[in-house]
Amino acid sequence: MVVSLSDPEISEIIESCRRGDREAFRALYEAYKDKVYSIALYFFHGDSAAAGDATQQVFLKLITSIQSFRGNSGFSTWLHRLVVNTCLDGSRRNKSREQPAEPADLARIADPASQDEEQVRRQVAGRVQLALSSLPAKLRMPILLRYFEDLSYAEMAEALQCSAGTVASRLNQGHKLLAQKLEKLRR
Amino acid sequence: MNEPQGKPPVGPIEPGQLPVVKAPDSIWRSIESSLNVPERRTSRFRVWQWAAALVAVIGIVSWYATRQQLPGWQVSRLEGNPSVDQIKVGEWLQTDASSRARITVGNIGVVDVEPNTRVRLVAASPTEHRLTLERGEISAVVTAPPRLFLVDTPASTAVDLGCAYKIKTDESGNGVLRVTSGWVSLEWKGRESLVPAGADCRTHSRTGPGTPYFADATETLQRALATFDLGSTDSLTSILSEARVRDTLTLWHLLSRVEPADRIRVVDRMTELVPLPESVSRDKVLQLDPATLKSWREELAWKW
Repeated sequence: MVVSLSDPEISEIIESCRRGDREAFRALYEAYKDKVYSIALYFFHGDSAAAGDATQQVFLKLITSIQSFRGNSGFSTWLHRLVVNTCLDGSRRNKSREQPAEPADLARIADPASQDEEQVRRQVAGRVQLALSSLPAKLRMPILLRYFEDLSYAEMAEALQCSAGTVASRLNQGHKLLAQKLEKLRR
Repeated sequence: MNEPQGKPPVGPIEPGQLPVVKAPDSIWRSIESSLNVPERRTSRFRVWQWAAALVAVIGIVSWYATRQQLPGWQVSRLEGNPSVDQIKVGEWLQTDASSRARITVGNIGVVDVEPNTRVRLVAASPTEHRLTLERGEISAVVTAPPRLFLVDTPASTAVDLGCAYKIKTDESGNGVLRVTSGWVSLEWKGRESLVPAGADCRTHSRTGPGTPYFADATETLQRALATFDLGSTDSLTSILSEARVRDTLTLWHLLSRVEPADRIRVVDRMTELVPLPESVSRDKVLQLDPATLKSWREELAWKW
């Protein structure tokens, strides 16, 4: 999850976090919050409340367990695992009320300030989001990680706790399904 | 086969079609207020009632002489007036009907001890954090590598796999586990139940961990499962007919808990609900091949 911080900066911030420095926590949060929130939002079909809860939980887990972070697997891998596990937990808890949002709702969430001149772009974005939303969770999450985080197969495999081969197979399947759904929505 | 390397392709989404969304400011405010939690509940009692109401009890004196050398965890008051501020290895902490206490588990989490509960600290080392819950209820929130935090009850050991949960038991071992985040493994005498967020699992004095089920499973399924866990296989028909896709959590556990003839029925029902993945062999499932069962569980878990 590369944002605007370099690796040495992240290491320094993590060290400060370990000492309980609240400002360092805030810096870490500011660096990663939008991507974490976006993944959660698209994962939860545009449900901003669920995405907000998940984002909060990810950072609370991160803050409360930063002492036990050993740095063996790299900070971003650790964060990705937290995001994946928290989204899946949330999805399990709310399974009975989980359903895809309407494309217009998702487009509004993605860009609440957009106006008429953006209409076409929003329609396209809405279609993409609806298609993505209709994918099963196990295909949706790898695509979100790939799209928002630009991860390698190995990094995605660590975050998703499966083999790189499984990641490749799920991405391939997800992309095919997504292309089919987008094609249908274009008609 | 070689594992793929490098970065995978992006696929059919073009840049800009899935914009990054700004996280609302309210999220940080919620995080901050959660971090500031002194978490004291408003009391309905007066001061003199607090004095009468008691308290958590201190444990064990047999090691008192060496107490200072033993590792321990901090204890803070949530309700009532506990008289201990630390629990050492080997000591008991007991709450009465109006007391609650919070144990800070090293630097990996917290355990809230509910009223009428008795717990003992068994181990507090870097490789093992372990409590015994003799009776009552605790809530644990742990962020640590899997299998580092364990809670023994009379009929199970709850092994933390990175999670938050509540566990309740009576002195004979009858109780229930409810997982709110992550996974917990309930283990006892070679039997294991894997319980994910949103699911419950009963424990029984005679048989140990029961079969996990989602809290939103139908009442009929939950009742039938309670009977099944106590040894009645007649309820299997009801469990199978009531099962939904996510109840494959329950059915997966039943695979190794039913007789071979019934195992075929369980597999049939599971594959009716969710097709068998190509990588999973039906024959090997029926033979209870551990690697095959694990692989199927990992696929099914996406539906749970």
